[in-house]
Amino acid sequence: MTDAVRTHGLFKRYGGQVAVAGVDLVVPAGSFAGLVGPNGAGKTTTLSMITGLLRPDGGSAEVDGFHVWRDPVEVKARIGVLPEGLRLFERLSGRELLLYNGRLRGIPKAEVEQRAGELLDVMDLTAAADKLVVDYSTGMRKKIGLAAALLHNPSVLFLDEPFEGVDPVSANTLTDVLRRFTGSGSTVIFSSHVMDLVERLCDWVSVMSAGHIVAQGTLADVRGERSLNQAFLDLVGGSRGDGEAGLTWLGGRKQ
Amino acid sequence: MSTVLLFAQLKIRLLAGNLRGDLQRKLGFIFTLLIAAGLAVLGFFLMSLLRLAPADIAASLVTVAFTLFLVSWMIVPLMAFGLDDTLDPARLSLFPLRTRRMAVGMFTASVTGVWPVAMLVVTFGALVGLAGGVGGFLLGIPAVLLQFALCVVTSRLITTALSGALRSRRGRDLLAVAVLLVVVLAQLPNLLMNRGFADPAAELHRIAAVLRWTPPGMAAHAIADGGPAGLADLAVLAGVVALLGWLWIKALGRALVTPDSSTQGTASVRKGRGLVDRFLPDGPLAAVVTKELKYIRREPRFRVSWASAVFVTLVLSFSLGGRGDGDAVAALPVFLASIGAVMIALQSANTFGIDGRSLWMNAVAFGSERDLRTDLAGRHLANAVIAVPLLAVIAVASGLFAGQPELIVPGVLAGWGALGVGLGVGSVTSVILPYSLPERMNAFSGAAPGQGGQALAASMGAMAGIALLALPILLPMALGLVWVCVVAPFYGLLAEVLGRRLAANIGFARMPELLAAVSKAS
Repeated sequence: MTDAVRTHGLFKRYGGQVAVAGVDLVVPAGSFAGLVGPNGAGKTTTLSMITGLLRPDGGSAEVDGFHVWRDPVEVKARIGVLPEGLRLFERLSGRELLLYNGRLRGIPKAEVEQRAGELLDVMDLTAAADKLVVDYSTGMRKKIGLAAALLHNPSVLFLDEPFEGVDPVSANTLTDVLRRFTGSGSTVIFSSHVMDLVERLCDWVSVMSAGHIVAQGTLADVRGERSLNQAFLDLVGGSRGDGEAGLTWLGGRKQ
Repeated sequence: MSTVLLFAQLKIRLLAGNLRGDLQRKLGFIFTLLIAAGLAVLGFFLMSLLRLAPADIAASLVTVAFTLFLVSWMIVPLMAFGLDDTLDPARLSLFPLRTRRMAVGMFTASVTGVWPVAMLVVTFGALVGLAGGVGGFLLGIPAVLLQFALCVVTSRLITTALSGALRSRRGRDLLAVAVLLVVVLAQLPNLLMNRGFADPAAELHRIAAVLRWTPPGMAAHAIADGGPAGLADLAVLAGVVALLGWLWIKALGRALVTPDSSTQGTASVRKGRGLVDRFLPDGPLAAVVTKELKYIRREPRFRVSWASAVFVTLVLSFSLGGRGDGDAVAALPVFLASIGAVMIALQSANTFGIDGRSLWMNAVAFGSERDLRTDLAGRHLANAVIAVPLLAVIAVASGLFAGQPELIVPGVLAGWGALGVGLGVGSVTSVILPYSLPERMNAFSGAAPGQGGQALAASMGAMAGIALLALPILLPMALGLVWVCVVAPFYGLLAEVLGRRLAANIGFARMPELLAAVSKAS
């Protein structure tokens, strides 16, 4: 089996602060991979560099064996991206956004229209298809963003915090679509800090902390005998005593 | 009293916190401080100089000035809403504050600041300039304070009453377009001046006579009068301030319990007709043109910049050609069409700025330089679809208007040429000097904090580039070789193609940097 994503010593600094300090991320093709880590671990920076949205200061990244920065045509045709916190074209309606995206990639209009219709249907967005994206809720934005990322049938999908701020119903729709997608042999990589979700969905886990990969492998390998949450806390050094010192005033109301 | 102190401190903390660690903002603040102090001193000085003017003229001038102060207090905070944290009552709604305390606090917060203090100083200048006798000074002090309170309370009432609407998308869109209205209104006196008054003093008295019975007029009259009539003026004025204050407290109470409607409300349904789309071959180019045309129609920042381009051209045509037939500027159609074209093309001098944080969608799709070139071509085409007929209209209208019909055709051709040159230069500045536009348009800033210099350099660079490249056509035309205009559209097209190629070449190599530059938070 080849690797869908492979990076070597990926490195990025902002001013004096090192955000990503030599990351060797590996994701086998066809896996549903979770990239987990505390806030500020460098997940978003890493994903941005692999998808060609941010120029690394050092190291290299390959998608399906193609170098991200030397072979952008091949790479960009193969990846779908849903970044976190970045905007969609807000003054287009959901349907127009999908049409724009597909046609920008050179897919014929009739084909895009058909795909967009099906995606809107699956995402449960048909009723809102002709409303402007600027009026969408967070869950609807994530869904239309995912639809746009899937439109050109990529082989690797990068999702940055796809479930952040999404209600359970929309989250369920998202996971259904993603499961179908990986079931057909494509790869999904998503970042999250919700361990339950990663444990439930992923078969491959990469743990990041302070700009490094601290553990990487199949879910069973990384987790071992513990729950993923415990394994994660052990790995990133999150548990620190029982926090009894201080805060004595908190709670304990006299009746 | 403790409330007053607390809120004053809060406001000062907020101002200080805004400046921490950011040299550019610190310099900006010092600059603002200097300007405000300068204006305060100058205003005070000018107002007190009125002492030397005849009493009736002084009184009329102060009446007009007080009214203008009030109007600007009503408008300016609306345009700058969101610049000041203490102005939004929703932020305080979770604290256990009684409405009355809160009103006192919000009042304090809004008078704590550089501009309110400057305003107060200027208003006191009127006291020096206008007050006659002891009575005038005795009544003048409360009159000045009441006038100041009137400005503050009115402005608070308006922002509070509208704060719900201002937080919704639709309200903000509307406001962005309203900025334009303010610009138009600001031009009105100028246009009137151009028509010429017969007698400025009589005109002034006529305006002042109307304004005499408005609250600011009463304040001015009270200072000038200093007798029983002034006392009556003050009583009415105090009543008005109290009423507005009461309304404000009511509005505040209501704003606190009304839910934040920014994510609710009925979303509008849009279905594009895509007329242009039908004439273009299917593909990325058609996609970009369709999207751009929709954006021009729906994005308030686009609407404002197009409307102001047309508006500036109109104002120019009035001031250059409108004083009878005799002295209209020579070659008016050529001049106006070229200026209009440059104004329109300058919108494209930071063409990725309006995409802002959504530009990544293009960046992940563009695998080669050719894709970026197509994108630029689509943007230019969308621009030209509107600009080409518009420039023709400008040239025809100004030709007929100025009585120079023989210059209509050269005007049209020169305008088209200038448009092409402008778009070509603009695409290069777009990739060399990109900057983020603020999400919300306000009248004071054209770029995200810290990128003002970049924005200035970009528009200066674009203008210099356009001027330089337009010389080979404009110079012969100015020397009388009008036939040169025949080449202008082709020359413009050439400039556009070369500029676009150069821009795509530079831009594709630095796509990540471009993306970062237009995605700055504002």
